[in-house]
Amino acid sequence: MIHPGIVPLVPATLRFDQIRRRFGRLAVLEGVSGAVSAGEALLVTGRNGSGKSTLLRCLAGLLVPDAGTIEYQEDGGTPLEIGERRRRVGFVSPDLAFYGELTVAENLAFFARLRRAELTRGLDLLDRVGLPPDRRAGALSSGMRQRLRWAWALLHRPRLLLLDEPFQNLDAAGERVTRELLAEHLAGGLAVIANPSSLEIDRVAGRLDLGR
Amino acid sequence: MWPAASTWAAEATAVFVKEWRCELRTRYALSTLALFAFTTLVVVSVSLGPLGVARSQGSAVLPVLLWVILLFSVAAGLPRTFVQEEESQTATALRLSATPSALFCGKLAYGLTVIAALEALITPVYLAMMSLPVRSPGLLAVALAAAGYGLAAGSTLVAAIIAQARSKGTLFAVLAFPVLLPLLLLAVEITRDAVGGDPAGVALTQLILYDACVTTAGLMLFPAVWNP
Repeated sequence: MIHPGIVPLVPATLRFDQIRRRFGRLAVLEGVSGAVSAGEALLVTGRNGSGKSTLLRCLAGLLVPDAGTIEYQEDGGTPLEIGERRRRVGFVSPDLAFYGELTVAENLAFFARLRRAELTRGLDLLDRVGLPPDRRAGALSSGMRQRLRWAWALLHRPRLLLLDEPFQNLDAAGERVTRELLAEHLAGGLAVIANPSSLEIDRVAGRLDLGR
Repeated sequence: MWPAASTWAAEATAVFVKEWRCELRTRYALSTLALFAFTTLVVVSVSLGPLGVARSQGSAVLPVLLWVILLFSVAAGLPRTFVQEEESQTATALRLSATPSALFCGKLAYGLTVIAALEALITPVYLAMMSLPVRSPGLLAVALAAAGYGLAAGSTLVAAIIAQARSKGTLFAVLAFPVLLPLLLLAVEITRDAVGGDPAGVALTQLILYDACVTTAGLMLFPAVWNP
């Protein structure tokens, strides 16, 4: 069995306080706060356009908030800088894409080299999520692409998973496998899960409704 | 078991290998560069071939045209290296995975090898079609190498800047040509020296310094350009 998370010596924690972000005149996030610790998941819900994806991208370090603070620490010490946080998190998002000219195995091998992960881990994850390693990424169905996103997100054994609509396009088998991976991750890691509606997930420590 | 990648150089190498692997399966950039270069080459050679330029003017004019062909070929094909990442939405995965400096150097190495291949292909054909003798082929090779590197470094940085913009094609020309102009002037001067058999002079030193400046600027600026 693959254990995507590792058992930390010191629990990891994520705190974000009064996050604000606007795009031009459109204020997407207006003072959003929350916290989650190892072994827990924070569920973020809200209508389309309420800022769920924007919040996750801010937490991942892909966007810089206009105001507010984000503190993520893994060892009980100093919160990670944005660049280091960006490289540490596992991220699943509908707009995450891979190189269509490469096979799924080649894609994961490439990112494993970038993330300094074990190259065999990619093959193990592909086997777990049920993807043929020699299939070109460009030839995957939408559900298979979502499975590949999960495999990619767990490649480097992140402590923090940021999941934006994690079960989108998955069939029953795919959802079962990814829920298993999430449960294994939450044994020692933490997660922020964004979804338009509520999800039945174990270990949900808090819910954040962005409303609108 | 494969060893885990553990060094910055390994990251840059992984980017370089990935670039070539994708390119060899699509041949998009290579086709664009080659087609543009040969089309321009044919037009120039037919219009200004051995009989179209006075022998006394050939050594002054023809080196200019060689670098114009190389510059526009590079501009036609190389910006895709970053534009493609944004358009195909693979940039997010890269931002979350790659060290910016390693990513920059991996793509720079890719651009450099593309330009080297282009120069190796175009230059001999151009010299033959234009009947342009080169008295110092070694100096010409050095000019091609040094200027080719500068083209790769400058183009890679500008490509990263424009990748997230809307009018990419126009913006590349607007940003790249002023940056590359000093390089082109120096490359032309050194090429003329090579054709005439003259010593390189201070132009070669200036070109190498230009390469160093562009590389340093790229490494310093790229993280700010690439990440939010």
